[in-house]
Amino acid sequence: MRQIAIYGKGGIGKSTIASNLSAALNERGYTVMQVGCDPKRDSTRILAGGRFIPAVLEEHREQLRVGKDEYAIKLDHIVFKSPGGIYLVEAGGPEPGVGCAGRGVLTALQILKDLNAFETYKIDVAIYDVLGDVVCGGFSMPIREGFAKEIYLVCSGGFMSIYAANNIARAVQRLAKRGDTGLAGIICNSNGDDAFERAVIPEFAQKLGTSFVQFVPRSPVIQACELEGRAVVEHSPGSKEAEVFRNLAKAIMENTTRVIPTPVNDLAELEKMYRQHLVKR
Amino acid sequence: MGPENGEEPAGRRVPSPESCTDPYLRCAFNGAAQTALGVLGCALLAHSPQGCEYLVNNAFASQECDYMETVTLCTKLCVDEIVHGGEDILARTIREAKDLPISALFVISACGPEIVGDDIVAVCETLQPEVKFRLIPIPSPGFRGSQYDGIDIALDTILKRLAKKRGEKIPGSVCLIAPHANANPTWPADLTWVKQTLSRMGIPVIATLTHKTPLSEIENIASAETSLLLSHDAGQKAADYLFAAYGIEQICKGIPLPIGMTNTQRWLAALGERFGAQKTAEGMVAEGEKMVMATCRRKMPMARFLYRTPAAIVADATVGIPLVRFVTEEMEMTPELVALYTSQRTVRELLDKELKDLGLNPKVVYGTDVYKTRAGLREVRPKVIFGSTIERHASEGLPVAYVVEVVRIMRQFRMINREYFGYTGILNLFECVQNEWTMAWRSKEKRYEAKW
Repeated sequence: MRQIAIYGKGGIGKSTIASNLSAALNERGYTVMQVGCDPKRDSTRILAGGRFIPAVLEEHREQLRVGKDEYAIKLDHIVFKSPGGIYLVEAGGPEPGVGCAGRGVLTALQILKDLNAFETYKIDVAIYDVLGDVVCGGFSMPIREGFAKEIYLVCSGGFMSIYAANNIARAVQRLAKRGDTGLAGIICNSNGDDAFERAVIPEFAQKLGTSFVQFVPRSPVIQACELEGRAVVEHSPGSKEAEVFRNLAKAIMENTTRVIPTPVNDLAELEKMYRQHLVKR
Repeated sequence: MGPENGEEPAGRRVPSPESCTDPYLRCAFNGAAQTALGVLGCALLAHSPQGCEYLVNNAFASQECDYMETVTLCTKLCVDEIVHGGEDILARTIREAKDLPISALFVISACGPEIVGDDIVAVCETLQPEVKFRLIPIPSPGFRGSQYDGIDIALDTILKRLAKKRGEKIPGSVCLIAPHANANPTWPADLTWVKQTLSRMGIPVIATLTHKTPLSEIENIASAETSLLLSHDAGQKAADYLFAAYGIEQICKGIPLPIGMTNTQRWLAALGERFGAQKTAEGMVAEGEKMVMATCRRKMPMARFLYRTPAAIVADATVGIPLVRFVTEEMEMTPELVALYTSQRTVRELLDKELKDLGLNPKVVYGTDVYKTRAGLREVRPKVIFGSTIERHASEGLPVAYVVEVVRIMRQFRMINREYFGYTGILNLFECVQNEWTMAWRSKEKRYEAKW
């Protein structure tokens, strides 16, 4: 089973990329499970027809409330199948303002593991869509505990998204030394400045020691599909955007390299790289 | 273990002091528990994982609580409460305790619930109408600092929540602060000596913060005219608060605690002067010194052979600072290293003053840990250490002849509390030195030779 984690700055489009990737992999014949690792539990909304599915920690909380524990949770309470046939899970989080969401993500993943979810549904590819940034140790848990083996960073041409991706690469660098986890590549989810992004993101990828995997253009088709609660390959299979996600799925399945990234430690160096491309523009 | 000359073996990686801090002190959670358990007729609820409950047990023993009288509870937090928050289980535990015949329940929180944002103050306020006793929340996660910081946190909460706003002043009265912030393992004897001394001088004690203290004493603390701090490590903030809030004057401030002849004499003199009991104080000094002299003459301790021996003192400031003068004047040794567990400004100022007064210039380590102590011992190479069982091991391989265990004693069991304060305290310290001197001659090899 391939275990892929999608990380990136908040609002950069991780859930969009993850969901469309899941759908494209599903179309290629793989059995896919998408696991949303964000307390907002909105990762799988696109695949679930625009609905929110119940989260693992919600169910967990409910069982605790009635004096039971995680062993009372059943797989069919927490794993849902999308109309397209993709298995969907949302880790969820504690009630706002209390508890530890990071530890919650790990608990949710552990419950999935204990219930043999991947074996039960014969999953070929698990996609983890992880909260915006590695805001604390808890959100590195999918990497630290070995759930996510291949890490993909999503960023755009915005400097802060590159900065966030660099920070995540630092976390990956630290954690990758512990096992067979590694950075597998960078995906650009364009904010519309194609030429600039096609120049700066590959150079950034090079600095991290990884590859630039795919450019996803800014497109009203993607936004329309999102609004409809459908993946692009399902809603507009003949569009060029659908082809982009098919290419992404193919590239990821063919990509077996994982590296310990070499993040830029000096902010000034990152700024310099960015400025150079701004000037060229 | 190092070789004979005390140097580390070649090739061994010597960690920097920053990377190797083996602390002497427990955490703030322990200090808060120690303080709360000093209040009579109350119970303690540890909002913590069960491991932290061990620190409550330790505090329980330190305050000599009676398990037939004092109840301790624990929410035994597990991963579920870390994920979802532990406020529900805290509320449930408080409700389960609602029929306990107590006047207050202290709720102290450990690191985990504080990190995940459990609001123990809000839970206590919400549940207060449901229970007959008072709920006193003390947020005291271990990461707030050492056990002495925990004592300050708990004293602050206790005073602000329990003490009445006003009270009619009782002339010439005193309240005692932080007797338990003391590395003498049987510190209640020090407190007893202080209380006996005050009683002889006719000074009423309004409250003790805290040891077997009824809640009513704390409520009426505003009636005290003065405060007397019994620790150099904790309690100064409480003394400052009592002065600011109630005008309670702190006495014997800036004087080392009464350990050793000179310290005891000047501490008693300051007390006598403040309360117009100079004659009683002088009488106690004369009587005490005579008793010490007569006892030493009869018992002939052999410690005189340690004259001018280079010594190290490793202790908290409460015991360590007064020991500097005791070691210099009574034992006639030369302190070459003074390593104190704490490092606050008042500690530094007091030790500086003492060293200047005694004309000493030892190596001084503030906020020491075992690594720093070992490094200090290697540098100074004393013959005698006044410290704990830990220094017996930390000095392995060094030419240290005697380790006088006066604090954190682990190799002995004390059934009877023994004070270091006052004149009997001097004899108790002499006894420690004498026993160490005697035991040092009873090495394994010598015993073997004697037998065969």
